[in-house]
Amino acid sequence: MKIAAYRLAFLAALIGLWWLASTMVARNLVPSPWATVLAAQRLIAEGRLMSALGESLSIYLGGYGVAILVGIPAGLVMGTIRPIGKTLEIFVYALSATPRVAFIPLIIVFLGLGPQAKILIIFLGAVMPILINTYAGALNSDQELIEMARSVGAKKSRIFTQIMLPGAVPFILVGLRVGATIGLINTVVAELYTAVKGLGGLLAIYGNTFRMAEYFVIVLTLALIGVIVTEALRFLEVRLGRWRRSEVIV
Amino acid sequence: MIAPDALTQASASDVKANAPRIVLQGVSKTFSSNKGSGTVALKDVDLSVRDGAFVSLLGPSGCGKTTVLRMVNGLIKPDSGSVLVSGKVPEPGPDMGFVFQSFRLIPWSSVRGNVEFALADLLPDKAERRERADRYIELVGLKRFGDAYPSELSGGMRQRVALARALATEPKILLMDEPFASIDAQTRELMQIELMRLWTVRRSVALFVTHSVDEAILLADQVVLMGPRPGRILEVIDVGLERPRWSYDVRAEPRFIELRAYLWDRIRTLVLTDPESDFYGRDLGSAV
Ligand SMILES: Nc1ncnc2c1ncn2[C@@H]1O[C@H](COP(=O)(O)OP(=O)(O)OP(=O)(O)O)[C@@H](O)[C@H]1O
Ligand SMILES: [Mg+2]
Repeated sequence: MKIAAYRLAFLAALIGLWWLASTMVARNLVPSPWATVLAAQRLIAEGRLMSALGESLSIYLGGYGVAILVGIPAGLVMGTIRPIGKTLEIFVYALSATPRVAFIPLIIVFLGLGPQAKILIIFLGAVMPILINTYAGALNSDQELIEMARSVGAKKSRIFTQIMLPGAVPFILVGLRVGATIGLINTVVAELYTAVKGLGGLLAIYGNTFRMAEYFVIVLTLALIGVIVTEALRFLEVRLGRWRRSEVIV
Repeated sequence: MIAPDALTQASASDVKANAPRIVLQGVSKTFSSNKGSGTVALKDVDLSVRDGAFVSLLGPSGCGKTTVLRMVNGLIKPDSGSVLVSGKVPEPGPDMGFVFQSFRLIPWSSVRGNVEFALADLLPDKAERRERADRYIELVGLKRFGDAYPSELSGGMRQRVALARALATEPKILLMDEPFASIDAQTRELMQIELMRLWTVRRSVALFVTHSVDEAILLADQVVLMGPRPGRILEVIDVGLERPRWSYDVRAEPRFIELRAYLWDRIRTLVLTDPESDFYGRDLGSAV
């Protein structure tokens, strides 16, 4: 409860600073909080915000979802079947070190400017942290616990589902969180570089025409999506981590 | 028709009772280390444990006690020599119970879940499994903690969960690696008696690793004294104290006092003459 109060106080301070900045900087560059609220009302009334939000969310969740479906199993396979992991490791790290933006022209050539291209761009950004963290989690599995399970006569499948997988969950969740953030960034990048649509599209339009109040509404909407997704994952983390000492959770 | 059947059964179990349950012959094991040379954990170890025996393994740190237990369980294989349990190469499973030195509890499972983990293949029926788990959780005095997670327990309580898990499968062979090391003195004494009772009823084989000379003598039929670098068996001593030992003051017996003094002396010399030991060359005699 105390933390919630502190957070609200900090938010109020931020809005105060924002308002201060809007009065001091040339009016056209930083809109006042109130002007931003009015712009939000306008955008909602026109239905623009919602349709852009819908477009962005659908490609974001599509790309992120595929990244989860690929990243977690691939990471687990690499972590449990060591020859596969050792073989692929270096390629995975190489790919994750390459700025994925570099692939965008290539993707456009093959997939055009439509949603498929966007989803692929998001997927490429989100899948790497998910895969690498899942891999690390599988590698990090507790050898002593595995030996205990063997001593009890547990079969490989049970050791995997009851010891290795749960042990990797904290790592996987970290991967999901980082992946969610990068996926959101890549959503905007994709909407700026391919067919200009969604929230990224509005960002480009309002940015280029200096309609800063509207521009701020879009930025805040993106921030809000980020907060909602990461908080949802954190909630999951707490739920799955109930076995830890309670003070860790709070 | 009944009589001959019973006869053959009796003679079969007689043979079994005389034949050793666990046999180690010329067992050696070297662990490779990063430094290259490798550690000789065991060298030419011969040990034979008859059915129904309670055997304590006693010796300074690093002399290969844990390694012996892991081999008997079939978790690791010897580099040379042979390990036979009931005449076969051992396979891990519910007919052997292992209490590990470092508890090894599943942190995301409750106390009950941890005990049930060992029972999963043995008792497919959920209710039966739960009933069995609860029985052993109660036996180790943790009745009120069935739903607690390991992180909520003290070290001694965790060790008792590990003990309950090993006992719950009602194994023929119990391998215990310092199972009472972090249990407080009072509980420890209760657990020792409880263990002796269980062992008396079941007549299972027990290999019990301990650093406590008193505990080694108190529990065992035989004390196996081991020495380090390379890990080897120095001596096997028959305890020869009457059972049940909880019905009289064992510690006051002349035999107990004699054994205790002898084993202390052996271990002290071992530690003081081991160049690798931290206490090498110290003159502890004059300090007394
Ligand atoms: N997995 C391993 N890898 C490398 N060395 C090992 C391994 N296991 C044991 N050793 C070494 O083998 C020797 C015997 O180890 P072991 O654990 O059997 O000793 P111990 O008698 O149980 O000692 P303690 O009383 O301290 O538990 C030690 O020197 C140890 O360092
Ligand atoms: Mg040990």
